[in-house]
Amino acid sequence: MEMDHALSRRTVASYALAILLVSLALAVSLALRSSFSNPFWFFFSAAVILSTWFGRNGAGWLAVAGSTTAVMYYFTPPIHSFSVEERHLPIFFTFVACEVGVSQLISWRRRTEEEIRQARDELEVKVAARTAELKNANDALLKQIAEQRRTEETLQTTRAELARAARITTIGELTASIAHEVNQPLAAVVANADACVAWLSREAPDLVEARAAAERATQGATRASEVIARIRSLITKVTPEKSRLQINGIIEQTAALVDGQALKNRVSLKLGLSRDLPLVLGDSIQLQQVVLNLLMNGIEAMSSVTDRPRTLILRSESQPGGQIRVAVQDSGIGLSEEVMNRLFEPFFTTRSKGMGMGLSISRSIVEAHGGRLWAESNGSGGATFQFTLPVGDGRAA
Amino acid sequence: MKEQDPVVFVIDDDRMIRDGLQSLIKSVGLRVETFASAPEFLAAKRPDGPSCLVLDVRMPGLSGLELQLKLSEDSTRIPIIFITGHGDIPMSVRAMKEGAQEFLTKPVRGQDLLDAIQKAIASDRVLRKERLEMQEIRGRFDSLTPREKEVLDLVVAGLLNKQIADQLGMSELTVKTHRARVMEKTQADSLAHLVRMAEKLKAPLRK
Repeated sequence: MEMDHALSRRTVASYALAILLVSLALAVSLALRSSFSNPFWFFFSAAVILSTWFGRNGAGWLAVAGSTTAVMYYFTPPIHSFSVEERHLPIFFTFVACEVGVSQLISWRRRTEEEIRQARDELEVKVAARTAELKNANDALLKQIAEQRRTEETLQTTRAELARAARITTIGELTASIAHEVNQPLAAVVANADACVAWLSREAPDLVEARAAAERATQGATRASEVIARIRSLITKVTPEKSRLQINGIIEQTAALVDGQALKNRVSLKLGLSRDLPLVLGDSIQLQQVVLNLLMNGIEAMSSVTDRPRTLILRSESQPGGQIRVAVQDSGIGLSEEVMNRLFEPFFTTRSKGMGMGLSISRSIVEAHGGRLWAESNGSGGATFQFTLPVGDGRAA
Repeated sequence: MKEQDPVVFVIDDDRMIRDGLQSLIKSVGLRVETFASAPEFLAAKRPDGPSCLVLDVRMPGLSGLELQLKLSEDSTRIPIIFITGHGDIPMSVRAMKEGAQEFLTKPVRGQDLLDAIQKAIASDRVLRKERLEMQEIRGRFDSLTPREKEVLDLVVAGLLNKQIADQLGMSELTVKTHRARVMEKTQADSLAHLVRMAEKLKAPLRK
């Protein structure tokens, strides 16, 4: 309704404009008739052009009709009549044809122009829409990235906590062993100190015996403090800190920790360490955790072995390509194919008390150090777990 | 017969503790022999005399409790003082039930251990004396002839000479002779003494 209304008002206005312009042209032409011959050509053409341009096709046609009528009435003989003398007909029709031609030309130009403008407007709308779409997509992407970053942070925290939990669990399993490790030297200290006092309290104090006992007491105390230092370095919560370190030192330290456990399980622990290995870049506590885990697994794997010696061999060697390889070989029950396939899955365990996190955490630790951890079955029974670490000569981060 | 010097056996897998305990026990003038493991102790030739065993519960190979069981199976009677790192109650109950003399937690105070050792040796002395006595009585009783043993059984059962004669189909005089031989061979002062000795001999069999 509204649109129709607006349309018709616009049409009326355009026709009015046409009439006005034609009247103006007529007035000017009449006024200038005395000075110029046939001035109407120019002014009526101008009226038609302007009417068509501003008033569109209908107004154009109206202007053409008005101009023709006015020229017929005022400017072609006989003057003041709606007829044209025969000899003026060619010029009159030429005038009409000119006016029609001009009107059509202008109308066509005008349409083309409008089409171009419309196309441009549409393009602008399209561009705006596309831009909005892109902006939305971009926003969504940014949000996703932020979310992913948060998830990653949570994951990292969780992983760190898990690693610590596993460490504590392993320690939980080792608690009895560690309590024994600490208590043993303390018992030695007390026994020897008491003996020393007893020798000194005799009627004829035996200084040789007393001195020997005192020396043994000192040795015991030293041993106790060493055990405590080892435990402390194992359980202290520290942020992963990579430094250049000697892998053999870590292996020896860890082997000393499981000595008691090995003895208890009648396992003989053998070290075959290559001397002069290059340093590796790593977190000593995390690497110790890996070695500890592999050793405890090895001991556990041999607990049901009775027909052959229970031997756990720990080797380290340099490998081509700037790698150091550490292998833990047991003579245990070995790995079935099924177990082999699932070995490194989190929460996969063959033990009743195990959490199934040890190997999966160990693998992520080794991989975080740029190395690899894998298992192989031995031809002679048992399994070998081994990992590689890149040499920390500055090339590897 | 002069009694041998008492000996304390110490079994602990930790050399430093072993040396300490040895020194401590030696300082009060007792003889000590140390072993690093239970099998080593079992393989060793032990002197015959009052003794006691100081034993670490937790050892690789044969544990202290397993050794206690093995000794009691072999009916080797020797007082045992257990030393344990973690005095867990079920374990100590088990050890005491099996006849452990004492159950001490590590680290052991020297005086506590020495007191326990003295007590253990004293009780072993009493046990050994009883065992020797038993052995002697058994020897005396073993010297009886089958006939004399028959008479002994009936005498101990409280029968009169006449009844015994009837039961065994012999004269009362023969019974009397046998009875006198029994009293003489077993060195019994009185009928009551004879009965006591006979009861003692039967006691372990009842168990």
